[in-house]
Amino acid sequence: MGSSTSHGAAPPPPAPTRDVRPLRMRVNPFLDIDQYDPEADLMALNMGPQHPSTHGVFRIKLFIDGEVVVKAVPYPGYLHRGVEKLCEKLTFAQLVPIVDKHDYVAPMTNEQAIVRVVEEALKIEVPRRARVLRTILAELQRIASHLLWLGTFTLDIGGTIGGGASVMMYTFRERELILDLFEMLTGARFHYNTHTPGGNRHDVPVGWPERVKKVCDVIAARLPEYTAACTDNDVFDLRSRGVGVIDAATALELGLSGPNLRASGVDHDLRRDAPYHAYDEVGVNVAVATDGDCWARYIVRMAEMEESLRIVRLLIDDIPQGPITALKPVKLHTQIKVPAGQHYAAIDTPRGELGTYLIGGGAEKGAAAFRLKIRPPSLHAMAALPWILPGNTVSDVVAILGSLDPIMGEVDR
Amino acid sequence: MAVDESGRPYAHPLYDTLDHFPGLSLATTSLDRLLSWSATNSLWIFPMATSCCAIEFMTSAANRVDIDQMGAVIRPTPRHCDVMVVAGTITVKMAPRVKKLWEQMPEPKWCIAMGSCAISGDFYRDIYSVIPGIDTVVPVDVYIPGCPPNADQVLVGLKRLQEKVELHRRGLVPARDGRPEHDKMIDPAIGRVTDADRDASTTEQQLAASRDLGLGGNSRRASDTPSSRQGGVDEEAT
Repeated sequence: MGSSTSHGAAPPPPAPTRDVRPLRMRVNPFLDIDQYDPEADLMALNMGPQHPSTHGVFRIKLFIDGEVVVKAVPYPGYLHRGVEKLCEKLTFAQLVPIVDKHDYVAPMTNEQAIVRVVEEALKIEVPRRARVLRTILAELQRIASHLLWLGTFTLDIGGTIGGGASVMMYTFRERELILDLFEMLTGARFHYNTHTPGGNRHDVPVGWPERVKKVCDVIAARLPEYTAACTDNDVFDLRSRGVGVIDAATALELGLSGPNLRASGVDHDLRRDAPYHAYDEVGVNVAVATDGDCWARYIVRMAEMEESLRIVRLLIDDIPQGPITALKPVKLHTQIKVPAGQHYAAIDTPRGELGTYLIGGGAEKGAAAFRLKIRPPSLHAMAALPWILPGNTVSDVVAILGSLDPIMGEVDR
Repeated sequence: MAVDESGRPYAHPLYDTLDHFPGLSLATTSLDRLLSWSATNSLWIFPMATSCCAIEFMTSAANRVDIDQMGAVIRPTPRHCDVMVVAGTITVKMAPRVKKLWEQMPEPKWCIAMGSCAISGDFYRDIYSVIPGIDTVVPVDVYIPGCPPNADQVLVGLKRLQEKVELHRRGLVPARDGRPEHDKMIDPAIGRVTDADRDASTTEQQLAASRDLGLGGNSRRASDTPSSRQGGVDEEAT
């Protein structure tokens, strides 16, 4: 180990200064490298589309100088299933099992987004029992989604041998408990198809609230285990702290939302700012961190899990009596008709703001959508990659990609 | 002459050499049983995981349902693996990559289609960008139905594959299918349930879209000319 005061040693290179100009005044990183810098002698490294750490079929082209990424160009579209086109053919009741598959880690919140825009368009007043049940389901789904994120993120930065697989086993153990609750309610572990315009399809079974309370106790008792495994771990600290910093202005300009935005210091949560379901009754304590790095995104998600546990425990004790759906049982699903016009509704999913933009008056005088546009939070998180990856090493690319929690089914749709 | 359990002669020249020594034919028969047993119980899996079924496939490798008890190891590289599990929707853009990864796997190799998207395309079979089932690209040995199948159903499918591998080593299963193979796709192995609404030309369009994509694959490189390299992807597709 040579000391820094030895003769003839080159001075350390100056630390790279961050470009603080707005995005529109910088060089567009989506341009190809030839148009970007023709003099550069860089190595192009393809990552994906089949790669265990890209969280699905995602391809990113990295131009690297030694170990440092100079430029990154993402190529999405390997899971484009044409869902928005498919939604123009189907009736509104048939849309629910289709949109389950967008964000396949949190299907409950996808369904709530699509039925909410239909309810807003038709001005249906959802019964309070259904609203409370939807809040409970959304928060349980948030816990399950964040648990899966934590398991895969530690797998990304720790590797199978480095101890990441242990945390994944722990988080999947608790995630199975929540999936069992959903299976008891709807009969399915995945792709529940339990929401319908006007209410819910499955009522609360006998003994379900007691099991929810037990599961909440178990998860609350095991959250300190994750803190011991991750927060107190030096390797986790070194790999995540100060890596992939997104400042608040950049995050707002890119359209980030959810935990990624709140980790950058922007206090924004649709559950509190534009309450839906029963969130105005319980109130939401929004978790905000200021650093904007992978560590802050981890801290925000851990705090959100505890907040979700609080909301579920608050609501599960007295689920109000009454009907579960506002509409009478429809014999034909073509009876739900949305007139022509523009409608938008957004909810806060585990990944951020999931908006649905609907133009009514489609096939057979409103029985289907004329146009349905989904605003996925993961797509905007992916759009941040070219701006934050340059300057990081190749091994940090996996950590940054994992910390943004992208779901490719939502990006490509 | 050394024979295996089904009575077929061994093709390897080493066995002909061994045949000159008395008693070694018995040893090679036992060796073949050992090889059959080990090949059946150590199937390494290459996860071709694209969408929803990938999450359930991860669950089958987690703690409640442990795929390790079947002797299966999940490796994310095709060159180490015996089985490719196609979990999720395969799009026209992804299909040439799946074909390329399948060609990189060493023989003998097997394929499991997990979930209804990989089996037939399911909801998306009429969509322009989704291919109607993975068996139009690679030959499939076991189909696991479900949307997605539960984690324990993956183990059932793997058990079926183990039985098939054992039968195949005894020579009781006919050789792999010789379906006609196009540039990137082959004709589907099982018939498709078609809707009344479905246009008959949709399948042809999907097949043609994947065939004419012109991305990757050894067959394209063989017929590649220096003049065609100059153009971009769009020009190659025509």
